[in-house]
Amino acid sequence: MAMLHNRRKHVAIAASLVAPFVATFCLVFLWPAIRMVELSFTAGPLIGEGTWVGLANYKRLLTDNLFYTSLKNNGYFVVLTVVPTTALALAIALAINRLSGRLQAAMLALFFLPYILPVSVVTMIWTWMLDFQFGVLQPVLAFFTGKPVPVFKNPYWVMPMIAVVTIWWTNGFNVLLFIAGLRNIPQELYEAAALDGATKRQQFFRVTWPLLWPVTALVLTLQLILQLKIFDQVYLMSGGGPFNSSYVLLLMVYREAFQLNHGGYASAVALILFVIIMVVSVLQFQVLKIGGRR
Amino acid sequence: MTGVTLRNVRKSFGTVEVIKNVSLEIKKGEFGVFVGPSGCGKSTLLRMIAGLEETTSGSIAIEGEDVTHVEPARRGVAMVFQSYALYPHLNVFENMAFSLRLARASREKTHQMVGEAARILKLEDHLHKKPSQLSGGQRQRVAIGRAIVRQPKVFLFDEPLSNLDAELRVQMRLELARLHRRIGATMIYVTHDQVEAMTLADKIFVLRDGEVQQSGGPIELYDDPDNRFVGGFIGSPAMNFLNGRIVSRRGKTVTIALENADGQTLEARIGQDAVGEGRTVVVGVRPEHLELCEDGVKVGVEMAEDLGGVSYLHTRTTDGTEIVVERRGARDNLNDRTVSLRAAPENVLVFDPEGRRLR
Repeated sequence: MAMLHNRRKHVAIAASLVAPFVATFCLVFLWPAIRMVELSFTAGPLIGEGTWVGLANYKRLLTDNLFYTSLKNNGYFVVLTVVPTTALALAIALAINRLSGRLQAAMLALFFLPYILPVSVVTMIWTWMLDFQFGVLQPVLAFFTGKPVPVFKNPYWVMPMIAVVTIWWTNGFNVLLFIAGLRNIPQELYEAAALDGATKRQQFFRVTWPLLWPVTALVLTLQLILQLKIFDQVYLMSGGGPFNSSYVLLLMVYREAFQLNHGGYASAVALILFVIIMVVSVLQFQVLKIGGRR
Repeated sequence: MTGVTLRNVRKSFGTVEVIKNVSLEIKKGEFGVFVGPSGCGKSTLLRMIAGLEETTSGSIAIEGEDVTHVEPARRGVAMVFQSYALYPHLNVFENMAFSLRLARASREKTHQMVGEAARILKLEDHLHKKPSQLSGGQRQRVAIGRAIVRQPKVFLFDEPLSNLDAELRVQMRLELARLHRRIGATMIYVTHDQVEAMTLADKIFVLRDGEVQQSGGPIELYDDPDNRFVGGFIGSPAMNFLNGRIVSRRGKTVTIALENADGQTLEARIGQDAVGEGRTVVVGVRPEHLELCEDGVKVGVEMAEDLGGVSYLHTRTTDGTEIVVERRGARDNLNDRTVSLRAAPENVLVFDPEGRRLR
């Protein structure tokens, strides 16, 4: 009986400890999420009741050209950022890892610095640097293209440029993850490999790369989720233009919900993005896990 | 034929010299052991032979060939690390085949050589397992197997048994000795455990502060240490040391009054004529060379450790200096009693106050 009593007490204590979190979670996440799903089946405004329209919002999505443009741009942005930023972070981490002492700390700080800046500051810096008339980077662009480029007003330049800014901004965190992963590989493995006759290149491909794979998979997945949610940089630098060439799904959600007050339609787009992120990231992580086991 | 030869080898880290002018030779097929307290430079010396540490000055030769500036892989050495350093993402087979894969050896050759090593080390049933699924002893064998597959001229072992429990350590020690007999290659082994050094070595090098104190066969070092450090380091329980002064000399026999025991005397043999009366010395006697007698150095028994066959009496002289005495087959309890000790003059070693042996 004493055991039973204790166990009940045990459960009660555990429940009381998780209760604040569960309550907050339900209040600010679960309930709004359910309401949003509900909203996506109505023609309602952002606030207030709307009429039930069933799947009408989703049917409308399938014929909305802006939705397809945004979806394509989201995909394009993922291609431009996820793998390049991961590769770049790995390269930088490998280089930093070869340094030691204060120099290493200084270099790491240097690469991490952009990450602590707020997005508005980041976009201000880059808008200024890339300004068509006064931008300090325009001579560099002019050197390659022959003339200055108004990057945020050119449909071919706008997405790659936003990708560059995003990579510059967020890369430090990935470098940090890779450095942590590299430090977890014992030095003796490299010594053993060197004695076994491995060149530096072979040491990388046969020791570093396979042992770092879990970190690489993590970085790739985190990046995929993060970059599918692209909004701030586009909103602040190009506003989705020119000619919708940098229009992305979250921008569409923002416009429909907060500018046009189409709560129902915006919810439908948001829900689609949520499903895409979930499916793609789970799929990717599984594929990467299999890749690592092979 | 020569196996490994070191000439005037030095190693500095910045301004700190950790290896100071070491010259030594290990013959081909010999089992050499570097032994010494931690921080004596023994591991650094081994890593220099492996090529994992640069040699500041001097030369290292393996089988007559100067390898001082040759990269590790081309020295013909294989190393077994204290942490085993197995590749965690590869199974046992691939761990052992790593060097063959790098050398692009044929399928048959790989299977034949790894199979042979696995047979010697009884690892055949574990070839498909990952290192994390193996016990400590098995991991150690895989590490040795990886070395065997490379067919090196010299095997280097860096404290390979220190991560194993006591029982397994004894077992692996025997296996290593058997392995050495079987493949007959030159081996260099680093340890801080003098029992491992005594049982495995053909030749022991006792190191201290980056210098070789003495080298020779295990029994040679045990019976005839060059200095107080070697005498105290080799042998367990350690040699007893007492301060004293030579009070008289008859031929080669000197009588030494012990300062730590109220001037009671012990006799010793010294050949050098220059060592005469009045000289301050340190006397060293091994526990098994002390015996109880009617009339000798009086000590109080503090505690006896009875191990059955052998027992160790922990005694103290009048000024509190500890003396350990080994007894065999004794069944009487001497706790808290006062006993007298003597030792045969030929078993009493004499050192000068700086620790050098007076022979």
